[in-house]
This record gives sequence, structure tokens and C-alpha cells, in this order.
Amino acid sequence: MIRAEAITKLFHDKKRGEIVAVNKLSFACKSGMILGVLGLNGAGKTTALRILATLLKPSSGTAFINNIDVVKYPDKAKAQIGFISSDTGLYRRLTPREIVGYFGELYGISRQESAIRLKEYSEILGMDDFLDTKVDKLSTGQKQKVSITRTMLHNPPILIMDEPTAGLDIVASAHIVELIRRAKSQNRAIIFSTHIMHEAQRLCDEILIIHNGMATRNGTIEKLRMETGIEDLDQIFLDSVGDLD
Amino acid sequence: MSKVWTIYRKELLDILRDRRTIISMVVIPIVLFPAMTIGFSALVSMQLKKSQAEIQKISVDGAENFPELLDRLEKAKELEVAPSTDYRLAITQKKLSAAIVIPDSADLKIQSGDSAEIDVYFDAAEVKSEFAKDKVLKILSEFADSIIAKRLETLGAKPEMLRPLPIKSHNIASEEKMSGFVLAIFLPYMIIILTMIGATYPAIDLTAGEKERGTLETILASPASRFDIAAGKFLTIFTASIITALLSVTSLTATIGLGIASFAEMGQSPIAFRMQPLAFVVLVILMIPVSCLFSSVLMTISLFAKSYKEAQSYITPAMFVVILPAMVSFIPGVELDFKLSIVPIVNVSLVAKEALMGNFRWGYLVSVFLSTALLASIAVFVAKRQFEREEVLFRI
Ligand SMILES: Nc1ncnc2c1ncn2[C@@H]1O[C@H](COP(=O)(O)OP(=O)(O)O)[C@@H](O)[C@H]1O
Ligand SMILES: [Mg+2]
Repeated sequence: MIRAEAITKLFHDKKRGEIVAVNKLSFACKSGMILGVLGLNGAGKTTALRILATLLKPSSGTAFINNIDVVKYPDKAKAQIGFISSDTGLYRRLTPREIVGYFGELYGISRQESAIRLKEYSEILGMDDFLDTKVDKLSTGQKQKVSITRTMLHNPPILIMDEPTAGLDIVASAHIVELIRRAKSQNRAIIFSTHIMHEAQRLCDEILIIHNGMATRNGTIEKLRMETGIEDLDQIFLDSVGDLD
Repeated sequence: MSKVWTIYRKELLDILRDRRTIISMVVIPIVLFPAMTIGFSALVSMQLKKSQAEIQKISVDGAENFPELLDRLEKAKELEVAPSTDYRLAITQKKLSAAIVIPDSADLKIQSGDSAEIDVYFDAAEVKSEFAKDKVLKILSEFADSIIAKRLETLGAKPEMLRPLPIKSHNIASEEKMSGFVLAIFLPYMIIILTMIGATYPAIDLTAGEKERGTLETILASPASRFDIAAGKFLTIFTASIITALLSVTSLTATIGLGIASFAEMGQSPIAFRMQPLAFVVLVILMIPVSCLFSSVLMTISLFAKSYKEAQSYITPAMFVVILPAMVSFIPGVELDFKLSIVPIVNVSLVAKEALMGNFRWGYLVSVFLSTALLASIAVFVAKRQFEREEVLFRI
């Protein structure tokens, strides 16, 4: 279960002055649910998800990861989270096996246990051929599989994904979509941001639309349709970001 | 703490797989000193041999004024007397190495007990010309001595009359001091710079480089605390830097020990260079806080940068802040005193120079070590603080 309670984040920028990247944002996502965060570029998606993942501290408000306060106990919260974004890269000079071993150690997983999990994921995703090849030499799709393994290694009940399909080709995005579906069936709570509407429509149980750091809509697609009286999600989105004439 | 160890091992493996680290950390420090000394001494001795073996052409203007002197010059093995109309031009054009001008009726003046001024022209900027001048002066002074001896004889006096206090100076500098002297001037500088270069590449790679490749966010999202990450990275950079320092000091010692270094060889008597083992130990101990300082400062600077390029553009000017004070060992007469012993880098350069010359002043050594260690601790603390600052880690 993920719960954000009035999180606000201010940035101080020399040129732009004070920026309210996230403004009193509250939302929740239960286990076995997928929450899609929609917003234009600069809406505050990355900032909000980074606060959940304890990478950033909120200026005010807080969030709970399985009832652990991310502000008070960031290290405890991190152990419950699998975090993946378009910015979470892999060490180019290491092999997938070494990377998994490394993160296994950091998550406090025994060597045997992380070897077993690597084998599991390797079978599911088909990574056997390149487990000992340096990441540098892998294709985008292969890297994505390694990243997924890295994210799921400690069996996190919470998944936080910031535009995980951004910049990926169709094959690599398909791996991500599969990961999300599987995670849902495993009763994890999943939150992911995107600006691709049909991706959200296909996968999400609930949608959170944010604009200028504030939540403009939140609920199931049915609920959003009722509220706006609009059928098409694209149109609902445009309406919610105040861009509909 | 175990996470620091995990991170340290991984970071070390990571940078050791990079050719650029290996070059700056291992290859350069090992190869630089032997290559420099071999190259330099080969060049010097080649030049020397060439200039010494060569027969130098000189011209003698007014030779008819003093046939006896001309005779002596012509008999000299390494000199060849050649005619010349414009000796100044000939010397600048390197057709002549030197020229002698004998004044009118010089031999009559000498016979009558008078003196005759001899002018010697040469080009001090040319090694060959210098050699020719030295040879000419030697011949002239031998000739003058023989004239004096003859004059004294006619007066019935002994040559000692003119040299009541023959002076012989004795150099008591130990062999270490003498041999270390030339090297001691610029080696502290080399070691300081190499220690810094050894830290530079890993510092950038593990901070700005990780931002660029997106791996910083990956590790920040893991349960490793910011302190674990900062400590693991710092230790890796420090290791690279101290290995660079160790290898360069070792390579330097070996170079000297094997006698490859022969700056003072000057063609004739090869002076065996020797460095006291104590100097080696002192240098290594001294480089520990220096490495710490460089590692943490470079880590702080590059963590702030968003990309490899940006980090390099900050570090290049920072290099000069180190290069200039490190050069203090080049300045003759700058001696270590208490004030200088607490000036960062300057103190290390000066105390390392003394140690290389076999001079160990323990009070100053301790003061240099402690002041550098204090500065290094502050720098480590600042570096750690940067890892807790979002505006540095997630700078846009
Ligand atoms: N580290 C930062 N410093 C200053 N401003 C930032 C920083 N991170 C994000 N912002 C600003 O906050 C706002 C929200 O950005 P972000 O959360 O990245 O939006 P999104 O992910 O929805 O595109 C933008 O205006 C962005 O410029
Ligand atoms: Mg974003």
C-alpha cells in the first residue's frame, strides 16, 4: 500500500526562482492495484515518484510505504520498494550476474538466494545467453531485462516506475508491460507514470492526473468518465490539464 | 559498514575495468620516471659527446701580432684555426665557434713586461660555442702562466710568491644530498601532480560519470545510505590515488636505485644516485593525507557536475591551484619554516624536497603531516555533506 499525504516539493532555482514542483498531492494505491500517473512534461511526476522512493525529501507532507514513513525511515522504506525509471542505468563495465550479485548484497540477500532469483528471472525473461556479458555490449531490450531483475530482486511489495517505457522500442516496452501485469497478479502495489494515454488505459486500475504539481483528477477510468462526461481518455486528459477549448 | 565494503569492492572492480583508470593509475606513474630520466640523460650525453668530440673552428684576428700564441692555438687538438673576415657574423651563423682578437704588437708588449688584452668572442647560448670558449680560455691561461713563470724566473722569484694562500675547497655534502639535489627539485612536484591525476579520473567517473549514465539514481534508490555510498566512493578514489602515489614513489626510487638517472653524469664521471630508504617511507606516509585531500576535493567538485565534460571543466582550473604551489620546490632558496609548513601543498613540496636530499627535520615533517591531515578531514567532511544534498545529487 502506497499513501501520499499532502506532499509538497519546492525547488529553488537561480533563474526561475521558487518552483512548486509538487503541490499538496495526496493519493493512495492498494496492493494488487496499478495507479497510473499522467501529466505533461514538467507536471511533477518524477518529483512525486522520487519522493515516494525516498530519493527526494518533501518540503512538507509525507508518504507511507506499507505504513513506513518515507521521511522518517527512508532506509526501511527503500527495502520495500522496487524503483525503476528511464534514469536508472546499469553499470556498463559489469556483467548482469555481477550487477545482480551487487544489489543482492546491498539488499541483504544471501549469495545463494540471489543466485536462485537470478536463475528464476533468467528463465522467465530469457537472459541465459548474456548473463556474463558486460552490459556495454547488450541491446536495449537485454538491458531492460537486467534492470527488471535488479528491480524485482528483493521481491518488493511496492513498485515505483517513472516513465519506464520512455525511450524504449516496442520489444523492450513489452517486457515492462509484462512486468507490470505479473506484479499485479503477485499482489504488489504498482505506481507508474507515463504520458502515453493508451498505455495507462490498458494497464491501470486508477488514474491520477497531475498538472502544475497538483492533482486535477484521481480515480478509476469509469469515475473520470462520469465526472467529466467525456468518453475518450485523451479528451479527459486534455480537459483535466485545462487545454480543452 | 558492510555496505561500504560492498560498494567499495564493486566500485574498485568497475574502475579497474576501465582502460583510462589503468593508464592514469598504473602505466603513467611506472613509466614516466624511467622514461623521463633515460630520455633526458640520453639527450644530454648525446649532446655532450657530440660537442666534445667535434673539432671547433675558431678564428684568430691579428695573429701576426703574436705568433707564439697562434702557434699554441694551432697545436691544440680540438681546435682548428680558420680564417674569417667577419667573425661576429660567422659565430651567429655557426660557421665559427669562437673568435680571438689579438691587439697590435702584443708580443712586443709581453716581452717588455707589459700586458696585452685578448678579446674572446663566443655565443653563450650555444653549447658548442661555450665549449670552444672554455678551451680557448684554458689555452690562454696556461700560456699566461708560462709567461708569469718566465718573468718570475728572471726576477729570481718562486711561483709561490704569487700564490701565498693556495685554496682548496671540500664539498662535505653526502652522496645522497648531492645526488638527490637535482631530482629533489622537481620530483616532489611530479609526485604531487601524479597523485592528483590518479584521483581525478575515478573521481569524475564515480560521480558525474554516474549521473551521466544514470547509475547514481539506481544506487540512491537501493538500501545503501548516502553515507555508505559516499564512503565507498571516497575509499575507491583514495585507493586509486594512493596506488598512483605509491607506484610513482616506487618507480622513482627504482629509477634512482638502478642508476638510470644520470642528470649530473655530464659525460665523464657517472654519479650513482642513491635515495635513503627513509625518504621512501617518509614520502609514502606524507602522500596519505595528500591523497585524502585530493580525493575528497575532486569528488566534491565532480559530484556537483552533471556530466563528465562539466566535471573536467571545473577540475582543469582547480589543477592550477595545486600545480603552482607544488612548483615551489623549483625556487632556489625557499626554505621550510614554521609558517610555510602549514601552507597546503607548498609544505608537502618543500618537506619532500628536503627528505629526498636526505634531510629529515622531524618537527616540520610532523607539522606538515598534521596540517595536511586536518585539511583532508575537513575536505572529507565537506564531500560527505555533498552526498546529502539533493540540489547537488539531482542538479538540473
Ligand atoms: N532538481 C531540481 N531543481 C530545480 N527544479 C526542478 C528539479 N527537478 C524538477 N524541477 C522542476 O520541477 C518541475 C517538475 O518536474 P518533474 O517532476 O521532473 O516533472 P515531470 O516528471 O512530470 O516531467 C519542473 O518545472 C522542473 O523543472
Ligand atoms: Mg519526468
